[in-house]
Amino acid sequence: MRKANSLTKFLRLIYVLLIVVPTFAGFTYALLHSLGLTGLLTDGLTLKYWSEALRDFYMWKSIGFSFLIAVISVFLSFCIALFLVLKLTDDFQKKWFHRLLFLPLCFPATVMAFYVMQTFSKSGFLSRLSFQFGWIDHIESFPELTNDAYGIGIMLTSVLLVFPFFTLFLKNIFDAERLQDYGLIAQSLGAKPRHAFWKISLALLWQKSKSTVVLYIIFVMGSYEVPLLLGRQNPQMITPRIVDKAQRFNLHDIPQAYVMALIYLFLVLLLISLMSTRFVQFFKKKTHA
Amino acid sequence: MLRRIVHFFLIAVIFLPVAVLLILSFSEHWIFPDVLPENFHRQTWLRLFSTESELRQSLGLSIVVSLCVAFFSTLMGCILSRAVSTSRYKKYYISLAYLPYILSPVVLGVLWHYFAVVIGLNASFIGVVSAQFLICFPFGFIILSSFWTRHISNYEELSITLGSSEWFRFKKVIFPLAKPVLGLCFFQCFLISWFDYGLTQLIGGGQVKTLTLSVFNFINEANIFLAALASLLLVIPPMTLLFFNKKIILKRTLIH
Repeated sequence: MRKANSLTKFLRLIYVLLIVVPTFAGFTYALLHSLGLTGLLTDGLTLKYWSEALRDFYMWKSIGFSFLIAVISVFLSFCIALFLVLKLTDDFQKKWFHRLLFLPLCFPATVMAFYVMQTFSKSGFLSRLSFQFGWIDHIESFPELTNDAYGIGIMLTSVLLVFPFFTLFLKNIFDAERLQDYGLIAQSLGAKPRHAFWKISLALLWQKSKSTVVLYIIFVMGSYEVPLLLGRQNPQMITPRIVDKAQRFNLHDIPQAYVMALIYLFLVLLLISLMSTRFVQFFKKKTHA
Repeated sequence: MLRRIVHFFLIAVIFLPVAVLLILSFSEHWIFPDVLPENFHRQTWLRLFSTESELRQSLGLSIVVSLCVAFFSTLMGCILSRAVSTSRYKKYYISLAYLPYILSPVVLGVLWHYFAVVIGLNASFIGVVSAQFLICFPFGFIILSSFWTRHISNYEELSITLGSSEWFRFKKVIFPLAKPVLGLCFFQCFLISWFDYGLTQLIGGGQVKTLTLSVFNFINEANIFLAALASLLLVIPPMTLLFFNKKIILKRTLIH
């Protein structure tokens, strides 16, 4: 029995080592490198790289841009999913409709980004169609929808990747919480459809899905392949920016890449803790008091 | 009417990517302002079957990498989730498994790159498999943690009472019960590895040319026709899985 117990403890230790050690080893090395305590350019403790990175306008722009892209993409995906679930509720009973929504989940980000590039770029399908219909008279007249300053291509790809999942996810909540029945009861008690939507359907769906929404905002923020194909140098999303800096020939850029990675990780952890239930409940208590 | 418009729009949005990739994979010239490519032929697809095809090598390498990652992730996920299932702190152990996903695998790849160089695993097959394992294994752990319920431990206790040995118990009781969830975990991990680009590029240093790297290489070479073919090859396994089991795809998306 004792042997079995010590084996279990040993296995738990292995688990912690496999998850925690690689993450914290990377974390520690990045911190030491960014403080000038290790690496090829080591010249003793210095805050030079941190102060340079913290004053770097483009880094903050990248973080802000990534956050904005993620929030807009997830918001649009959520709205599309909500529309499909509430307006086409009966269609989900049909096998073809249900299967149809699973299909985009088979697409990796790389492939979806490639598709968006071939369809929405200046030389893509839409541009060619517009030319044939006489809507544009030159390839340059077609609006920039990929590699653009507003991240339209990145957002479009993210929405195409995320909305099918949100639709299936919200539909599961819709069924599990029996929202259709609640809506009918509310309306038979005199509530207008608009009220039933705001006070029942949306409120319950949001309550049950908000943690997934936040997780998806973080995932989209950390996406790499899509901005690599459809983004540009300025503004650039944070993940390709970190990788760019880390892979440059200039050795002075590497500590800055580590600083950016650490700041990004810190902000993600902050976002998660801000959204944690305990935090929300803390503020609720304060408000009631 | 609105319903029909939405149906049409949805079908168009979902099937267009497949259609675009198929059209491009069967073409060779596509000059502006032609809406469709000039000639359709099987030339690009035939290249896949030639013995020196880079794409075929990438396909083979991707399959081997993903199978290794899926096998080790499932094995370790199964053993370690069993060990953690009886812990008082099970909830915290599971929360810990989300760490690599929340912190972005690519950012972690940047942080791990130095260690891969020091250990001598960078630009190598084993390095890529190890890095992907560190991302896939927590995912496998999360899936398999849901298997070790009270119900399963009741079965175990019953078989102990009836005098079964540990091996017999695993072979005749646990394994048959765990088979579906093990299969699910294996395919999920296979897909995460199959779709990975960032980690493979960072740790493999471009030397381990999997299918996702090939897509990027072909795009950089402006060979959109081969890129389309490589993209289709990337989509085929998950679509096959979708045909057999929808849950596999949905669970992967939920976490990844």
